[in-house]
Order: sequence, then C-alpha cells, then structure tokens
Amino acid sequence: MPRRLGWGFWISAAWIALVLGAALAADLLPLPRYDETLVGPPQAGPSLAHPFGTDGLGRDVLSRVVYGARVSLGVGVGAVLLGLLVGAPLGVLAGYRGRATDSVIMAFNDIALAFPSLVFALAVVAFAGASLTNVLIVLGVLGVPAWTRLIRGATLSFAGREFVIAARALGARDRRILLREITPNVAVPAASYAFIGMAIAVVAEGSLAFLGLSVQAPTPTWGGLINEGRAVMDNAPFVVLAPSLVMFLTVLSFNVVGDRLRALTDVRQSGLEPGRRAPALAPAAGSRTTVVERAGDALLQVRDLRTHFVTGRGVVRAVDGVSFTLERGRTLAVVGESGSGKTVLIRSVLGLLPGAGVLRDGEVLLEGRDLTTLPPKELRGVLGTRLATVFQDPMTALNPVRTVGTQVMEPLRVHLGMKRRQARAAAAELLSSVGIPEPARVLRRYPHQLSGGMRQRVTIAMALSCGPDVLFADEPTTALDVTIQDQVLRLIHRQRQEHDMAMVLVSHDLAVVAQWADEVLVMYAGRVVERGPAEALFERTRMPYTEALLRAVPRLADPAHQPLRLLGGRPPDLANPPSGCAFSPRCPYARERCGTEAPPLAEAETPGHLYACWYPELVGREREIDREIDTEGVDTRGR
Amino acid sequence: MAGSGSAHLRAPEEVLLRVEDLVVEFPAGRGRRVHAVSGVSFDVARGETLGIVGESGCGKSTAARALMQLPAPLGGSIRLDGVELTGLRGETLRRTRRRLQMIFQDPISSLNPRRRVRDIVAEGPRVWGTGEDRVDEMLEAVGLDPATASDRRPHEFSGGQCQRISIARALVLDPEVVICDEPVSALDVSVQAQILSLLEELKKRYGLTLVFIAHDLAVVKNISDRVLVMYLGKTCELASGDTLVRRPAHPYTRALLASVPRSGLDLPPADRLISGEPPSPVTPPSGCRFRTRCPAAAPRCAAEEPLMRRIGPDQWVACHHPQAPTQQGPPVS
Amino acid sequence: MILLRLVRLLVVLLVVTFLSYVLLNLLPGDPTTQILGLSASEEARAQLRAELSLDQPLTVRYLGWLGGLVTGDLGTSYITSVPVAEALAERLPVTLELLVAAQLIALGLAVPVGVAAARRAGRTLDQVLTTLSFGLLSTPVFVLGVVLILIFAVKLQVLPATGWTPISLDLGWNLTSVLLPAVTLGCGQMAVYARLLRTDLIATLQEDYITLARARGLSPRRILWRHALRPSAISLVTAVGLNLGALIGGTVIIETLFGLPGVGRLIVDSIFSRDYLTVQGGVVLISVGYVLVNFAVDLVYAAVDPRIRHA
Repeated sequence: MPRRLGWGFWISAAWIALVLGAALAADLLPLPRYDETLVGPPQAGPSLAHPFGTDGLGRDVLSRVVYGARVSLGVGVGAVLLGLLVGAPLGVLAGYRGRATDSVIMAFNDIALAFPSLVFALAVVAFAGASLTNVLIVLGVLGVPAWTRLIRGATLSFAGREFVIAARALGARDRRILLREITPNVAVPAASYAFIGMAIAVVAEGSLAFLGLSVQAPTPTWGGLINEGRAVMDNAPFVVLAPSLVMFLTVLSFNVVGDRLRALTDVRQSGLEPGRRAPALAPAAGSRTTVVERAGDALLQVRDLRTHFVTGRGVVRAVDGVSFTLERGRTLAVVGESGSGKTVLIRSVLGLLPGAGVLRDGEVLLEGRDLTTLPPKELRGVLGTRLATVFQDPMTALNPVRTVGTQVMEPLRVHLGMKRRQARAAAAELLSSVGIPEPARVLRRYPHQLSGGMRQRVTIAMALSCGPDVLFADEPTTALDVTIQDQVLRLIHRQRQEHDMAMVLVSHDLAVVAQWADEVLVMYAGRVVERGPAEALFERTRMPYTEALLRAVPRLADPAHQPLRLLGGRPPDLANPPSGCAFSPRCPYARERCGTEAPPLAEAETPGHLYACWYPELVGREREIDREIDTEGVDTRGR
Repeated sequence: MAGSGSAHLRAPEEVLLRVEDLVVEFPAGRGRRVHAVSGVSFDVARGETLGIVGESGCGKSTAARALMQLPAPLGGSIRLDGVELTGLRGETLRRTRRRLQMIFQDPISSLNPRRRVRDIVAEGPRVWGTGEDRVDEMLEAVGLDPATASDRRPHEFSGGQCQRISIARALVLDPEVVICDEPVSALDVSVQAQILSLLEELKKRYGLTLVFIAHDLAVVKNISDRVLVMYLGKTCELASGDTLVRRPAHPYTRALLASVPRSGLDLPPADRLISGEPPSPVTPPSGCRFRTRCPAAAPRCAAEEPLMRRIGPDQWVACHHPQAPTQQGPPVS
Repeated sequence: MILLRLVRLLVVLLVVTFLSYVLLNLLPGDPTTQILGLSASEEARAQLRAELSLDQPLTVRYLGWLGGLVTGDLGTSYITSVPVAEALAERLPVTLELLVAAQLIALGLAVPVGVAAARRAGRTLDQVLTTLSFGLLSTPVFVLGVVLILIFAVKLQVLPATGWTPISLDLGWNLTSVLLPAVTLGCGQMAVYARLLRTDLIATLQEDYITLARARGLSPRRILWRHALRPSAISLVTAVGLNLGALIGGTVIIETLFGLPGVGRLIVDSIFSRDYLTVQGGVVLISVGYVLVNFAVDLVYAAVDPRIRHA
C-alpha cells in the first residue's frame, strides 16, 4: 500500500533513525565519555567542541544526551515489545473468541486500567531497585492493558467481516484464519500504536528518571539530565534545554510516525476528497444544448449546471452541463447508476457541496431568481422555506442525540418564528399528516426508537414543515423494504399533490420512476443523455443507455430464467472521460462518429423529449447488430 | 399465514439439501431473545435453484448462515446428501462444510483488503492442499483475466468485479451447494444483470445447486426454479416463480407483489393488502406472525399457527385463509 | 441498572486494593531496616515486626487493613507516626485544586480550538492548530514545566517557580501559585482533547443529518453548536474520564517540580522513605478516585447519549 505518508513522516523517521544510530554507536563516536568531568570549563555555553555546552561538572552535555538515549530508547523499545507480546495475544483472543473469554479478559483489563500506573511504577522501581530491567519490565507490564484493548478492538472489527466467514466456509482452521485473515489487518494499527507506545514509554521513563527513580547515576538518562539541569537553570539554561529539546523531538517523532501509520488505515475511498487548490473551472466540452430552454415563468430552472471536484487524480467532472425546467405540480425523476452524478446534481442545485476543491458553474433559477449568486444568509432563507430535501438513508438523516420533537420544531421556530407551544402543536399535526400514529408521543422519542419507515416519515414531515415549493427526494426509499417503500412513495406523492409542490425524485429504480414521475432525466457520466415526458421516454426510447437500463432489470411478468440483456463495460472515469459520446465504449450501436464527436441534445418527435445520440433510429434493433462487448474488463481505477 | 410445517418437503432421497424445522435465536439483552428463524423447512434438489425472498428481518440471511453452521442453529436438522450437519464438530464439520459455499451481499467486506486476488481465490486449495491449477480457470470463468487480476488487491476493483472474485473463491473447491446471500443487492442494475447471468452460466457449467436469497422478487424469480417466501422467521409460501407471480396464495406474497411498482400484475394496490410495520422479532405475534398486518386476519390466526399445506401441484402455503388459486378478488375468510 | 454498576464498582475497588496491598508488600525491602537502621539486632527486629503485625500472613494483614479502611483508618505511618488518613486529607485539597484547575484550562481551551480547527478542516488555521496541539501532546510535563519555569519565573520573574499558598490564606496568591502548575498539567490534556474533538467533529459534520440541517437553511453557527457538538461531546466526556489516570500521574511530577504539598509529593516522599502504609494509602486514594470519576462519567455518558440510555 504505497500511499502518501507525507514529509512529516519521513523527517520523523529520519530523526528516530539518527537518535537510534547515535545511541547504538555512542562508543564509536568522537565524543568525550559521558562521565568524564572537566572536558571543558563548567557551565560553558554551546561551542564547536561541545555543541550542547558543558554542565556544572564540566561534562559534555551532547555526550550525556547521546548516552542517555540508550536508556530512553532501550526502555521505549523494550517496554513496547513486552506490552505487545503479552497484550496482543490477549487482545486477539478476546476479540476473536468473544463471549465469555472476552468478558473475562476485558474485566481484568478494566481493573488494570484503574491502577495509577506512574505511581505504581514509582513504588515498584523504588522498592525493587532502579535498574534498567526493572524499569523496562514495569513500564512494559503497565502498557499491557492498552495493547489488549487496542488489539481486541481491531480484531473485533475484522472477525465479523464476511471474508472471515468465507475463510471458515473454505475449511480454514482458526489458526490459519488468525494468521492469514486477521493478522495482516491488525498489523497496521498495531505498528501505529507501537510508535505511540514508544512515545509513552519514553515519557514515562523520563518521568521516573526526573524523580530520580530510573537507572541510577553515573549512567545518564534524559529525565535525569533535565532534573540535574534545573539546578543551574539560572546561569546555564542550555544544560536543561538540550536534553529537553532532544526528548521533545524524539517523542514528537514517535507520535508523528504512529499517527501517519494510523492514517493509512482510515483512508476514505471517495473521489470527493477536497483538493488543495481550486483552479478556474475547466471549460465545458463544447456547447451541448442545441435546444433552448424556455425562459421566464418556470418554478425551477437549472441552466448548464456544472460541478467539478478537484482531486488527486485530476478534475472529476461529476456534473457537466445539466439543464432542466420544472413546473409547479410536476415530478421530475433523475435516473442513473451510481457515479452518474445524480446525487451531486441535487446537492449542487441546493448548494450543499463540501467547501474546498469544488467548482460550480451555471444558474439555478427559482422563479427567475438565481440561487447561485445569493448571499449565504438569503440562500438559507430560501432553503429552509421554499426548497426541501429528503435523503436516502433514514437511519442517518436524523440527529441521534436530539428528540424528534426538537428536530421537527426547529425549522418552524427558526423560519416561521413560532413559539415553542405553537411549534409543538404544529409539529404534532405534521407528524400525523404523514401517517405517524400517536404523534405527541413520537415527538418525545429519539430517532433510534423508531423504525426505518417511521424515521423516513419524520424526515418527510420536517421537509414539508415550512410549505416548500420544491421537494428534492434523493433515493427516498432505497434503504426501505418494498412494502414500506410503497407506503412512503404513496405518502410523498399525496403530499406533493395536496401542497401543489414540484418534486425532483432521484432514483436508480426505473420501475419507481415509471410509476411516479411526470418527466424523466437520464444521466450518464455527469451529463443528460435523455430527457422528456415519462411515457414518451419509456415507450419511445431514443438513447441506447436508457434502453440498456430498461432491459437490464428483470421483470416480474417475464418467465423464470429469461436471459437478461447485458450492458457490458463500466461507467467511464469522470476524471478522464472518453472522447466523443461518453457511452460509446459500451454502446452496442456505436459507430466511428460516436467515438470522436459528442452528440448534442436533440429533440424527438414528442415535444420536450430530448436525447443525445447520433443514431437514435437504431435503438431497439439490437438483434440486427452483431457487436461483441466485453464484460467489465479489469481496470486499475481506485474506487 | 406465516407459519411452520414441513409438508412441502420432498422425499429425502430426491433432494441434495434438506432443512427441517430450523431454529435460530440470539440473545437480545435482559434475558430476551430475538426469534430470528423459528421452524423453517425447505429442500433443494441437485441442480435446482431455490430462491428465498423476504424483507429485512425475515431471517433469510440468518438461515443462510445457519446452513453453514456459522453460527450453528439452535435447533432443527440440516442434511446435505443425507449427512446431518447440525451435530458435526471439529474436523468432520470442517470437511463437510466445504461442500457448501457462500457469496455475500457486501462486495467490499467479503474480501480481505490486505490480500491479493490470487491468494484470496487460492485460499481453499491451499487449506486442503489440492493444488492451485483451478485458480486461473475460476478467475477466467468469472470473467477476470488471471494475468492482470491475480496480483491486485480488492480495492482496485469495482463492486461487480469484487463479486466475481467472491464467486471464484466460492467455486474453486467445487462445492455442491452455493448459498448466495443478496449477491446483487449492492450493485447497479447493469452490473446486477451481469452477475445474474454469470451465476446462471456457472450453474450450468459446473452443475451447481443454488440457494439464492434476495429481497427483490423479480430478481429471485428470474434466477430460481422454486421460490420460498419468508416473513419474520417463518415460511409463508413455496411455489415455482411463475406460479407465485401468477397465482399468489399467501396474503403476504400478494402484498409483496403488489408493492412492486409497475409490476403489470392484476392485484389491488398494496396499501389494501398490507398495513403498518413488521413487529419486533423479540416479541413476535402469537399464531400467524403476519396477522398484525394482514387485512384478512381472523381470531383463529391469533390462536393457531398455520402450517404449510399443498394447494396446487407445485404450491404450498402456510395460511388459514389463503387466496384460492383460481379466485380473484379479496380472500374469503 | 445503577445497583448493578455499584456492585461492579465495589468489586473493582476490592480487587484494586487487594492487588496493590499484596504487590507493595511482596516487593523487597524491610520496613524494620528503615525504622531501626541497618545495625539493629535480629531480636529487636522481630519484636518490632510483632508490634507492627508484620509477622502475620499477608491476607490477614490485608483484611485488618481493609477493616480499618471502612472506618476511615488507613493505619499510622511507621516513619512519621502520622495517621495516613490524616496526612492524605491534609494534602488532598492541593491536588484536587491542581486537577480541577488543569481540567478547566484543558477543556476551556480544547473546545474552542477543536471547534475552530474542525470548522475550517484542511485550511491554514486548522493546520496551525493541529500542528501546535501535536507538539504540545508530545511534550512531557516535566519538560514543559521546566521550560515554563525558565520563561516565567527565571527570565520574566512574573510567577513563582515553587511554593504554595492555601486558599484559606489568600485567594490571589493561591491562584498565582496554582497557575503555572495547572497550565503545565493542562496543556498536554488540552492537546489530547482538542485533537479528539476535531476528529470527531469533522466526522459528525459529514453526517447526513448535518447536510440535511444545512438543506433546511439553518445557520452554520446553529448547526455547529446545536447539532454537531453534542454527539461529539460524548467522546470527549469519555476521554476526560480515561485520561484522568495520565493526569494523576502528571500531578506527581508537577507537585515535585513546583514544590506543591499535594498527595503526589507525599507519595514520592513516602516512597523514598519506604513509608509503605502511606504509599498504600495514596495508591488506594488515587484508584478510588479514578474509579469513582469513571463511574460518574458513565452516568454522564448515559445522560448525554440517548442511544445508551435506552440500550
């Protein structure tokens, strides 16, 4: 996994290597011995001969710091190894076996954590003798509970994964599963914690030494040096500052290395990572719309909206020149597969994109007023009252630590200025209007106490609370069971009619779209490839991609084992889209022109039915065309 | 309605996998238990595909894992080719279990992110020391190029490709039964179609027996020979896909079908066939578990659990008031 | 539920006191040597052992000590002849004041720093704050203490380097004497809390419910303080409890470094003078404090997070 670790990591690693190397080779270095007095004048400042100066007895501070590193690093490495050797097996056992084993180990662990470790270390070292071995053993043992906890957590998060179940199904024994499946995954967090643990151990050893309870004089230790240096702080601050600085840098380096290693494990695999710079928006690939949008009185009009993300791989053209018009009382469905840009389109229209690394261009007109140029405060007023949103997953759509009542009442109070009592009554009414039984009781509940279907009803109630003009529903039922999906879609449809709203319904499910939408917009690779009245679009499909989507879905009325029409290939990389029509590499009808020239949106015979295809007359005649398309080829694009 | 019974099972010698009265429960804290699967029976003949359909919480995935003894069920019998799996321990279990393999829903967590594709697919042969000659063959069979795919790790592949790798891993040991637990639910429709036809093709080529679990009736019907409908840990109806869609007898099956938008079926709107939300599996309703949402529920449904019984040549239903196969309109009670 | 937790609490306390008693007593070193000196005769030693009940089995001694503990008697130091409970009670206010002041400084700084960094995640302010707190996190308390003394006491001479004025004597002087130690102790904790809060807030700010709150036209300020901070505060509360151990370890150093007459200093002094009973009393006091605070944290946790309350 050669992911970027960052320059901080390498500098820190280099420092650790330097200190470690110096400590190991201390005897070979051209340094005075650490205990040799009067190698220079006492308390002399840094000089060429003594870069860190000399202490009160005229000893070379650099030499003492280098030899002190032996104790510090030795204890750091030793204590971590000891903690790892004892803690890791316990953690793996607890995490993998679970149940009783886990309970027993973790109960002991909790008790161990209750001991004041530093105080305990002090007592043990004081009474048992302040030798390197004793310090190492005590600090190592005291580190065991943290190791156990960490390794258990990591093991637990992988032991339940499907690949472990699959390995057991293949007949792998526990030992093999632990070795091949669990260990590689636990290794990275363990390596990360090893460095953090070394930082902790170095500090702890320093603390003991500072109190005079680590390895005894004349052997120098960093903590001991700092403690000694305090006495001459007034006249020779470098005596205390030199070991302090070295110790700080070493601890910092351990922490940085550990932190960067940990960052390896939680890399987000999203293409939306905000980049550092935001150059000007790349020009659109030619003016794509030949059909002029009707201007003027439409409720919502989106003109040539483009949204690009600046990522490490280049500029991702998530939405690239989308236009549509929505009239009051109509439902527009946005259809496409994942990565087609439909969700980004909605968030872009609403101005809900992450801040950095996002480029947006185009117009969003609500009754003629361009929302993209509104100041934030005014935009918020519009968002709260005239545009409303429902998302896919009802489980994450509500704040888990606030009651349903607080959340439903909030827009009423913020935007409509209602008093608490009035808002509560209105909220109860809203809940009952979306079919929630006992609304007064539900208002006092927390989201986790409601089922998925009920939560989605609550989010719908919240969306409707300020009487919006347009409802944006992004896959509102995808996370719900079919019977609940039907209930929720009926509810949304009824509410749309009752309130005379317009709706933008985003969905991947063509059957849902066919049943509920008046108009349909099909997206592919961030662009509109077909758009028009639902009936015309489904019955007289002009764009091969729309056709392929329709044919790929098994239908209930078809006999069992009916072969499905396959759409080969996979959606293009939006950072590097193919030339010409973006669908051409997968299109069964594609000809030479498709690969070189992007088709504009053209109007079909039905008014308002637009499509982007050079050869629409071929659609529906795939049997006459004999063109093989590979199924998904291997490609290296990270997801 | 949603009940138990084993009248729909065929003679043991006719089937490859026979599951009888399967029970799976989990502790739910404070001494309560989740009744995930409560007395479910089904069987699969060699070369057949059994589809299991139901909504979340119906116990279909739990039942699938119980088949693999991961974890072992609380009760019931699971016979693979006459061998009882439930009592097996240790080596014998390990040896027998490999004849069953599984494909999961989540293409990401199905594959160990730290291992190469080749190691993932070759894990089975390595465990059994059977040589790795089949690995390339399997990768090719699922549509991946062994030369370019072998040394990559899962994160370099799309969801559909990960699912192909999972299939290759499952098939490399030449299993008799492959249990597919929602294998296409996380995929886009175009990729879903690819995986479905791949499964059909591999089934023919390797003579597989499939248990295919999904929540999407159309998908299940497309790939299955027989379809079992489950609700809240119980069986509702078993029939061939075509019969199930043309003459659904169980009120829950009818509600499921009616909930599919634009199905083109002649059914009343779904909101007249089902109401409310599923009850908690911790405190399931007495008698028929579907009665709390069923428009035709009668006092008998609360008192007595319906058992699976035959109502047509290839149709069994667990309901006191099934929709008569020839009738149309609301069920007579 | 509470009752069950109380029982668990008692069990933990029993185990902790027993283990620490046994461990401290098993360590090499003979208290009679400390009291009578190396030259004392074997008879004198034996007599002293009998007097101090050192000749009895360990468990018997532990039970006796435990019996005393229930009545608030932690024994009397062999060395100073001061009852341990009395010595601890005298020192406790100093340590408590130091701990509370350090926590207040840490939390008081961590919340604004964490929030400011999370709000502008990835921008310059965030990078500066993150780097600074990482640096603080990596500075051992005694290093930080020495540097602060060097700056404020030695060079600027605005704060005392050592010494302690009790609150009862003079509030102003008391605050002056606790300021530097509390800042030293609190800085590292501040860094821990701020980093935690930042990470947690960034994750929370990416949740759907935050995007939806934005879609509802709520102001960034309202979203941050009413919607995002509370879920994130939950992990902060846990961290406060779990970090108490580290903080207590810090007081031992700080009290030594700044010459404060607190429990930590008492324990260090007692360790050097082999005053077993006082060390034992101190260890138990700290363990009990740690366990009780974490018990309280659990309760707060349940109060802040409804998901736990109803689980």
